[in-house]
Amino acid sequence: MKLTELFQKKTFVITGEVGPVKGCSRLNGGPPPDYIKEALDIKDYVHAVNITDNQGATMRLGALAASVLTKQFGLEPIFQITCRDRNRLAIQSDLLAACTLGIDNVLCLTGDHIKIGDHKSAKPVFDIDSVQMLKIAAGLNAGHDMMGNKLSQATNLALGAAANPNFEPLDLQLMKMEKKVAAGCEFFQTQPVYEPKQFETFMKKAEKLGVPVMFGMVVIKSPGMAKFINDNVTGITVPEAWIKELDSVPKADYKKKATAMTIALLKEIAPMCQGIHFMPFGWSDIIPEVLAAIRPSFPQ
Amino acid sequence: MIGTTKKPLEEILQALAGYEKIAVVGCDGCAKVCMTGGLDQVKELAATLKEEGKEVTVEVSPERTCNIMHSRNFLNPCKDQIAAADAMIVLGCGGAVQIARQTTEEMGLTIPVKVGLDSVGHMDMVIPGVMAMEQCQECGQCILNETGGICPVTKCAKSLLNGPCGGSENGKCEVDPDRDCAWVLIYNRMAALGELEQLKRYMEPKDYSKMAKPRVLYIKEGRCA
Repeated sequence: MKLTELFQKKTFVITGEVGPVKGCSRLNGGPPPDYIKEALDIKDYVHAVNITDNQGATMRLGALAASVLTKQFGLEPIFQITCRDRNRLAIQSDLLAACTLGIDNVLCLTGDHIKIGDHKSAKPVFDIDSVQMLKIAAGLNAGHDMMGNKLSQATNLALGAAANPNFEPLDLQLMKMEKKVAAGCEFFQTQPVYEPKQFETFMKKAEKLGVPVMFGMVVIKSPGMAKFINDNVTGITVPEAWIKELDSVPKADYKKKATAMTIALLKEIAPMCQGIHFMPFGWSDIIPEVLAAIRPSFPQ
Repeated sequence: MIGTTKKPLEEILQALAGYEKIAVVGCDGCAKVCMTGGLDQVKELAATLKEEGKEVTVEVSPERTCNIMHSRNFLNPCKDQIAAADAMIVLGCGGAVQIARQTTEEMGLTIPVKVGLDSVGHMDMVIPGVMAMEQCQECGQCILNETGGICPVTKCAKSLLNGPCGGSENGKCEVDPDRDCAWVLIYNRMAALGELEQLKRYMEPKDYSKMAKPRVLYIKEGRCA
């Protein structure tokens, strides 16, 4: 099922995200791997689940194989595909492969740089960028490759992209989003922000693009996690006030407090956008409670 | 210029192991500017090799070793000293080493020509005598007219052509927080020039056939292939 069909029906779309393991995932009659278990935990609460692509430039099971396996377990995968590890031939070939194997949704990303991952001496590819990938993917949907050669069968993929409401200058981010939409982007998933006003400023500009925007929610599990993000993850900033509030309770109550704070934030955010993309990092179990609490805030 | 750094002495000695008589050749062009291979560094290495028990047959530093004309002019007069050597070591970029090798071959000499430096890129001097930085990849399709005179192919860690990645934060690059995000620099420059509209234009994927190695420049025809 393409996410675009849901957006067309004005459904408020909920997605999750899991990262493939560092290892093979052949089942051999055994239990599913951890990322599938994590996805199954939220199966009844989300429309689809992002499958990350060598996230953090760390070598793992390929996102396409993991997406196919996720689909076999009854979830709708969003295959994340980055420009870091593939040239233009490989990107087109993998998009054809994805559609062939039953994938309906892709998220076209630049990809984290090799330098932040676990194979720092690898050659970064970046033959094309995310805007160009979207245009190429739209071409495959229209039945031709990027050189104009006709395909024996066109793809039928819903094309998503990332956006960062934290970006300064914001107008530069909007300029890139505008290019993505012109290239064929049909929905956005954002990086998280923790101040509704900041997201409101972003959405006032982004809504003019006429493409659904899903707010990305990284649940902050502890002050330590917030500090780690602020120190090591570019593009996301957890405000001091958020950290202080979470730290105002004993460690044993972090989960309860984080859930309450997430609910409060999303109640304000949900009316401004068309969906929420959860990145729970192991706390998938709070999603049902969060969704139940914020559902009345979904836009009609 | 071509930036160079010195290889560790151990690596140089390893490359010269088994060779006793050494011709030391530098480059009074880029390597001189980088303080890695001018005549001063040639003399330093020669002294070190002598301390290590080697015999140095010649110490010479052509004006620009990468130019065959200069290499010939400087090295041909030293043919006898070079012929007396078991090996030559060149303190120059990879191009200088290969032009020096070509020169020895033209002399009818078959001796190993070793490299004493690592070439680290096309560098432009931004603080004289202190810091040079890579600003051009020689991609064969210059887009500086479209990007405010700032090259995203070189200055963006991911060579992005249509705007910044999500890793840029506070105007800095995700790869190195001390490095400016090329796209923020470009945006600010284009804003100052009043040309932001131009930046909204979609940039096609680069034609990497123009970077297919080894490129050959036909100077009289003004053509690269």
